[in-house]
Amino acid sequence: MTLLALISVLGTLIVVLAIRLLAQSGNRRERPVVTVDEYAKAREALDAVFVETAMVQRIFSVEDAEFVAHSGTPDVTRSFLKERKKLALQWFRGTRKQVAQLMDLHLRLAGYTHDPSPGFELRLTAKYLIFVAVSNIVLLLVWVLGPFKATRSISYAIRAAGSFCTTFSVRLERVNPTRLSSGRESLVH
Amino acid sequence: METHVIWWVGTSLVAVVLLRGALGGNLRKYPLFYSYMSCVLVKEVVGLLSYRFAPNFYGTLYWPTELATIVASYAVMVEIFRQSLRHSPGIARKGLKLLLAAFVLTVSYAATDLLHGRLANAARTIAEAGRDLRYIEGALLLLLLWLFVRYRILLGPNLLGLIMGYSFWVGINVINLALVFLPDNEFSTLARRLEPITYVATLTIWCVALWASRPEPVQPTDGAIERDYELLVAKTRSILARTSDQLMRGMRP
Repeated sequence: MTLLALISVLGTLIVVLAIRLLAQSGNRRERPVVTVDEYAKAREALDAVFVETAMVQRIFSVEDAEFVAHSGTPDVTRSFLKERKKLALQWFRGTRKQVAQLMDLHLRLAGYTHDPSPGFELRLTAKYLIFVAVSNIVLLLVWVLGPFKATRSISYAIRAAGSFCTTFSVRLERVNPTRLSSGRESLVH
Repeated sequence: METHVIWWVGTSLVAVVLLRGALGGNLRKYPLFYSYMSCVLVKEVVGLLSYRFAPNFYGTLYWPTELATIVASYAVMVEIFRQSLRHSPGIARKGLKLLLAAFVLTVSYAATDLLHGRLANAARTIAEAGRDLRYIEGALLLLLLWLFVRYRILLGPNLLGLIMGYSFWVGINVINLALVFLPDNEFSTLARRLEPITYVATLTIWCVALWASRPEPVQPTDGAIERDYELLVAKTRSILARTSDQLMRGMRP
């Protein structure tokens, strides 16, 4: 019976992945291969994540919250908390989107611009998955508790984003734009 | 009556796929796939002839011919691998290693399972070998599909249709075979009835997708590549200028 269940899962997964491939191919026809422009944008996005990650720690600084709580009126404190929460959520959503775009770019590039090394692939995927999981939890925590009561999870998420971006920057260093364009030439029929 | 209708529809569709392949030019593009289709057509015709003229022989012939077509269907896998990863040498190398490892592992597992004192009945052994080969094919196809999805491999409409039909057929067939070999299972009757329907559905997908030779996805021209490269150079220059400006400002007392 266990074998039957396993085989049924295998068959179902084949059909599900085939449907996923069909959906993916439908979307990809409009955006076929990685352009050098996208590569340049990825570099910019990566730099932005690095710079913003350093700055965003200020948003979650407990010192600011304590200062406002001591010297401001309840209205000011409420408005401050609301604004910081909004900022924190915005930053997490933006970073998540940027990291997802970087991962997408890596996967599309991997097809024809470099030989994927299994170790590196595993490392990058693990870091990406950790970041996605942590950022989802943090988003929920920030939403429920606010930015100043989930500081440990937030700093872990920031470190996870930084760690992914460091690994990804190593990957981008390996892309030679000349090789990128020759990869595209080879795709012309 | 119902079986006959399905048989005639199925065989006609196989013939149509082959005919359209020859007329539309896909036969030259996907020779391994069409070789498999020819095998299926021969098997169907041999099956019908034996059913009509030598019904006693039909049972003996069924599993060996089934096994032969399952072995031949591996050619479709090779065709998919060859055609879809020809522009992705890195993934092709990695994929080949993964597929070979999975193949060796699953074949060894199936061989030990088969050799465990069940060689007494030749027909059952052949049937089980066919089933195990289909499971292996399923595992390899799953790996291949995962590679396509993960690395966003670009596929033309013909190849995509070929993969869709093949995945649908192998996926449903794997579940069917598991149910058929399970003793005293009420689902096995349903599985036997479903198999011809999925077979006709698969052939319909292939017939539609491979009706005419469709062009592969067109890539940007060399001019665009040059333009993009110039854009990158300009952007890098501007980033460098910005960085050195910030550095100068930072160094000021």
